[in-house]
This record gives sequence, structure tokens and C-alpha cells, in this order.
Amino acid sequence: MRTTVVTDEERKKALASTKKPEVVERQKLNVRYHVEDCDVNDRPRRFLEVFAAILKHSNYKMVLDHFIRMTGRCSRCAVACHIYQATDDPKDIPCYRSGLLLDVYRRHFTMGGLLKGRISGGGYLTDEKIQEVAESFWNCTACRRCALECPLGLDHGLITHLGRYILSEIGIVPRALAVSVRAQLEGPFHNTSAVPVPALKDTLEFLEDDMFEEKSVEIKFPTDVEGSDYVFFAPVSDYLMEADSLMGIAAVFAATGDSWTIGTGYFDAINYGLFYNDRILERVIKNVDQETRRLKGKHVLIGECGHASRVAKNFMPTYCGGEDSVPVINILEYTYKVWKEGRLNLNPDVITEKIAYHDPCNFARNRWIVNQPREVLRSFCKNYVEMTPAGEDNICCGGGGGAVSMDELRPYRTTIGGKLKAEQIRKSGCEILVAPCANCKKQLRELVEDQGLDCRVVGFHDLVYKAIKFDDSLLVRKEEEVTAGQNNGLSDPRDSSEGKEK
Amino acid sequence: MGFLLQFARGPLFRLCFIIMLLGLARILFLDFWGAQKVYRRAGDKKMPWRLIASRTFEWVFPVKRVFRNRQVYSFFSILFHIGLIIVPVFLFAHISLWKSSVGISWPALPYWWAFWLTAATIVFATLMLVERLVVKSIHSLSRGQDYLWLLLLLLPFVTGFVCANLNISAGVYQFLMLVHVLSGDLIFFMTPFTKIAHCVLAPFSQVIDALAWKFPPKTDEDICATLSKKGAPV
Ligand code: SF4
Repeated sequence: MRTTVVTDEERKKALASTKKPEVVERQKLNVRYHVEDCDVNDRPRRFLEVFAAILKHSNYKMVLDHFIRMTGRCSRCAVACHIYQATDDPKDIPCYRSGLLLDVYRRHFTMGGLLKGRISGGGYLTDEKIQEVAESFWNCTACRRCALECPLGLDHGLITHLGRYILSEIGIVPRALAVSVRAQLEGPFHNTSAVPVPALKDTLEFLEDDMFEEKSVEIKFPTDVEGSDYVFFAPVSDYLMEADSLMGIAAVFAATGDSWTIGTGYFDAINYGLFYNDRILERVIKNVDQETRRLKGKHVLIGECGHASRVAKNFMPTYCGGEDSVPVINILEYTYKVWKEGRLNLNPDVITEKIAYHDPCNFARNRWIVNQPREVLRSFCKNYVEMTPAGEDNICCGGGGGAVSMDELRPYRTTIGGKLKAEQIRKSGCEILVAPCANCKKQLRELVEDQGLDCRVVGFHDLVYKAIKFDDSLLVRKEEEVTAGQNNGLSDPRDSSEGKEK
Repeated sequence: MGFLLQFARGPLFRLCFIIMLLGLARILFLDFWGAQKVYRRAGDKKMPWRLIASRTFEWVFPVKRVFRNRQVYSFFSILFHIGLIIVPVFLFAHISLWKSSVGISWPALPYWWAFWLTAATIVFATLMLVERLVVKSIHSLSRGQDYLWLLLLLLPFVTGFVCANLNISAGVYQFLMLVHVLSGDLIFFMTPFTKIAHCVLAPFSQVIDALAWKFPPKTDEDICATLSKKGAPV
């Protein structure tokens, strides 16, 4: 047996359901994630109706036709999937999972399947099959690693995406995601964490004060500045949990002097539509576009968030004007660009710990952001190590595809989903793991805790914030230091260690 | 038997071969037709051509990525595919048939090359069959057709090999040759309708995958209208 397979005890812990039997009975659905009560009647018919509507108005038919004409069932994808590697359950082989939906398509939407069904009188979609799809498609973290291993080029992540889309239209969607999206699209505060604008402004002011204290530089979070080069959208959870990443980003802008702003009309980058529903994806991304246009911004700038960046980059052109859509850039790209131009100085003596970089799947799988952050990190982290495999072949943190937002899945995520990643981290021996994605950060922190790993998980800009060196002209003499300096003969803060290193 | 054999490698072969060509052309056309429709509807028409080319290349010329995992299986599979294409096309006896019936010919494989390549194809197909039977992950995924196809592909190779290299009686020869030709005809006939269609479709998978993520704009409105969900809460 492979060493990556979980033990029986771990399996039991990971697969244990926290749901009450009466809930399962009422919802007629036995899945580990929580679901809101929804119509349980006639699911197969409604599933097929939705499937038909999606086929009619979307582009999925082409790809389903292509896939059903040639699936080879070689099981090569099994070696790529971190879920199967941990469970050793054939039902977790990507090709098996995709097969569940492809079979429904073949049986109900192709001439051959309809004929065969007529003759044999069987093969209908049943409640049991829907139950299997509902369970299987949310075991997958939609990391799309298996697509790289398929000799025939089947993108199983896309099939997972479509399967979840159909399920969501008949009401089967993880509650955690549905509640967040409701808050974002219909709530009074227009973001997934229901953060009111005054609270956001308070947080930003507080961070500005903190940064001034620490760096003696006026670092601002500009809000609602029209005509800025960059309109910034962070995953809103960053304002609650990732202060260091945000401060790092603000510090980079303070160093470069480029104009950026946070719009108070809409400021949440999170787009759970990517995880379960194209219609949601479209609505959310349109909000990002509207806010950028309201502020007459020149670029959409997405913070440290893999899925939000991919959605904005790939779907702004789709839904918001094609070639005329506002260009999208991720903060790692921006920081890399200004570092390359020599506008960002990082002190190589500050970070001494062993550092490794985790590739968020949504950055790396399509070779979008792979080397840029590494180049920057290597320049100021003396003790940088690489985990293998990395880059486009990286192993998912185990919380992808929305899984990390479901707290009821934590045992599953950190025992099965993150098993391979945990081993990779352990092997690397890193003390600090850099993960420039809000979802990855949360999952990896829980993984580190549950698997007893001895390392800290931080964002990319957390380290940048620590190591950034400001130009002398930006350093501000603080009153108390002036007084203290006069009293005890200390020098001007501009001559502080950071200043001297220049 | 003689008449049957003549029929199998004459009109029947021609029919099956034409069905294969037309069938493959049909699915290729359907693929392209679907792809162009998608492209026209897509809200974003920028395609990642470099990525598509490099990933297509990785699998059409499998030398690097393929050996990162499941090395033994990959090795069997690649040699099996090479044999499957080279042997039937470059066998002297097959070329002679083409020459006598259609009047075209091309250089043939030397005898010993053909001998070893055929033998290797048979061995590797058998090993793949064994692997399907014993390796848990492949076995659990396999459908009846996955075994049947391997057996069907083995049939013309084994019979052809026996006929060409072993000293057998005329009756047995005729019988085996008939099986050889009929199984070949059947393979040609079924190719466009089964997973073997991947021989023409697989090189386009990366384009299809990239296109599949190019959604049409305004699906929200259209789907809501069809499902009567207009104005419904999230
Ligand atoms: S997308 Fe990732 S988690 Fe899902 S089947 Fe493929 S490798 Fe496994």
C-alpha cells in the first residue's frame, strides 16, 4: 500500500458526518457538507431540466461531446489526484467522477443513449445517482491537476464545475457558500463577510496607524479615489484576518508612489461562482467591473487570492466587454513588476528562516503566476527551499474549490484533502510557508495545526512588509522620537537601521 | 473460404475503410463545428495558444511528461501505439494489396523489423490487458469495451503473425487469414463510433478544453428565463 493512503482511523475521522439523521432524512441527501433545505421532490427530472437549459445556453455541449467520444479509462489521472492518493477509493479517481456526469449526458442527451435506453428500458437518472454525484463532486477540490495527466486531455475540473452548477440549480449547494453569496449579492453590505463600510474604514485607519508606528512612513489605504491606476479588490476576509498581507501591499504602493484605491461601493474580490454556479460568477464579476468603472480606474487589481484572481482575469473579458474590458492584474504581478523595475527595495537580512512557496492552483495550473513570486522571494530570503512537485504540477492544499469555506469539512480537508500537501511541507523542512491566497492560507494553517507540522503559514506580502526598505524621503520624523532624540541624544529616525542600509 | 477471404479483403475492406474515413471525418467536422460555434459565442476570444501548443505537443510526442508517472504502463502503452500504427501501414503484404487494388505503394518495413515490431505489439497489448486485470485503479475503471477492444486489436496481429511466420496447413492458414482480415475490417468499421476515435480527436483536446472555459456572455439572463428563475433570490 502506498504511504500516502490514510490509516483506517484517519479515514473514520475524516469521513465522519456531523449531520443529524433527521436532517439527512428530511433533505433526502446524505452528504458531509451542510445544505439548506430545498425541494426534494422529483430531483432527477429537475436535474435533467437544468442540464438541458445549461446545455442550451452555454458552451458545455461541445466539450461533453468531445469527451464522450473518446474517454479511455486508463486511470492515469489517479496518480495526479491528491484525494485518490489519500483514500485509495476507486470512486475518487477523476475519470470515475467525470464518468458519473458523462454517463448522464450520454444516456439522456445523445441519440445513441436515448435509443439504448429505449431498447433496454434502463439507465435512467435516479435519486441515488444524484446522491452519488452530489457527494463525489464536492470531494474534488477542482484543482485541475488531473487534467495535466490525462493523455487524452480531459479536463476533469471542468466536469466538476459543470456538475456542481447543475446541482446548485436544483438546490444542492453547500450552505456556507450559499450564505456568503447571498450576503454578497443581496445583503446590505455587498460582501461575503458582511463587513459594513464604516468598519472597513476603521480597520484601514487602524492599520495605517500601525504601519506608521512600525515603519515611520505615512502608508495609506486610499479609498474612493477616482482615476487611480489600480482599483484594489481583496478577498474581504483579508480585512478581518490578513492584516500583514494588506499592510505589505499598502507598503509596496507607498514605496512606488503609484496610485491605487479601494472602492467603498464594492470591495470584495471573492467569487464563489467559480466553485458552483456560472450565473453567480457572472453577477459577482459584474460588480467588480461596475465599481472599477465608477471610480474610472485603469486596472482591476486583485489581492492575494487564487480563485478571485483567476475569475477576474479569465471572466472579466467574458462578461464585461471582451477586448474593451478593464485589464486585470494580480498583486503578485504588480509587486514583481515594480521590483524588476528597481522601484522596490527589500532587505535581505530580515528574513532568516527557511522559506518555501506554495503555488495556489488557480495561479499555477495554467502557468500564469509561477516564477514571479519565486524570483522576488529568492532575492531577499536567504534560506529559500523549493517543494516538489511545484509550479503547474503543484499539489493542491486540500481546501480548493470552496472546500475551505466549509468548516464542517475540516476533518476531511486536513486528513484526506491535505494529506499529500502535509507530507510535502514536512519534507521541505520549511519554517515559513508562503501562500499568496486567502483560501490556501486558511486551509494550510488548519493543516499545519491538525497534522502537527512545525511551520508558520503567511502571505507573500507579509514577508515583503517585513523586509521593505523605504526611500529616505518617505521617512517621517515622529514627534515623540524627536523629543526623545533631543532628550537622550538619539539620532533622527531617518538614520534608523532601515535608513542606514540605504 | 477462398471467396469469403476475397470478399473480406476486397469489397468489405473497402466499405469498412470508407466508413472509417467518413466516420472520422464526421466526428472531426462535428468537433470543429461545435468549436467554431463556441468561439463565436464566447465573450472572450483570446486563446492561450502557446499553452495549448505546448500541452498538445507533450502528449502527441510523449517523451517527457508521460514518464513522470506510471513509467511501466506508459512504456507499454507507447510501444503498443507505435506498433499499432506502423505495422499495418508499412507491412509488405499490406502494401502489395494496396498496389494491386488501388495502384499506390510506399516503402515497406524490412522483414525482421516487421517481425519484431509485430511481436512487440502483441506482447505489449497483452501486458496492458494484464495490467487492466490486476492493477486496482485501472481494473475498477474498466468497462467491458476496454477489454474487448484490446482483444479485438490483438486478433489481427496474432493471426497475421502466425500466418506470416509459422508453418501451418493451407486450411488453417486460410481460416486464420479470414479471421485476420475480418477482425481488421471490424476495427476499421468501429473506429469512429468508439473510444478509438481518440486517434483523430485527442490532438484537439487542449483547444477544446481552453474553449470550454470561454463562456458566452449573458448566460445568467438566458438560463433564468428558461428555468423561470428571473428575479428569484440567490
Ligand atoms: S481536479 Fe484535483 S481533486 Fe478533482 S479529481 Fe482532479 S486532481 Fe482530483
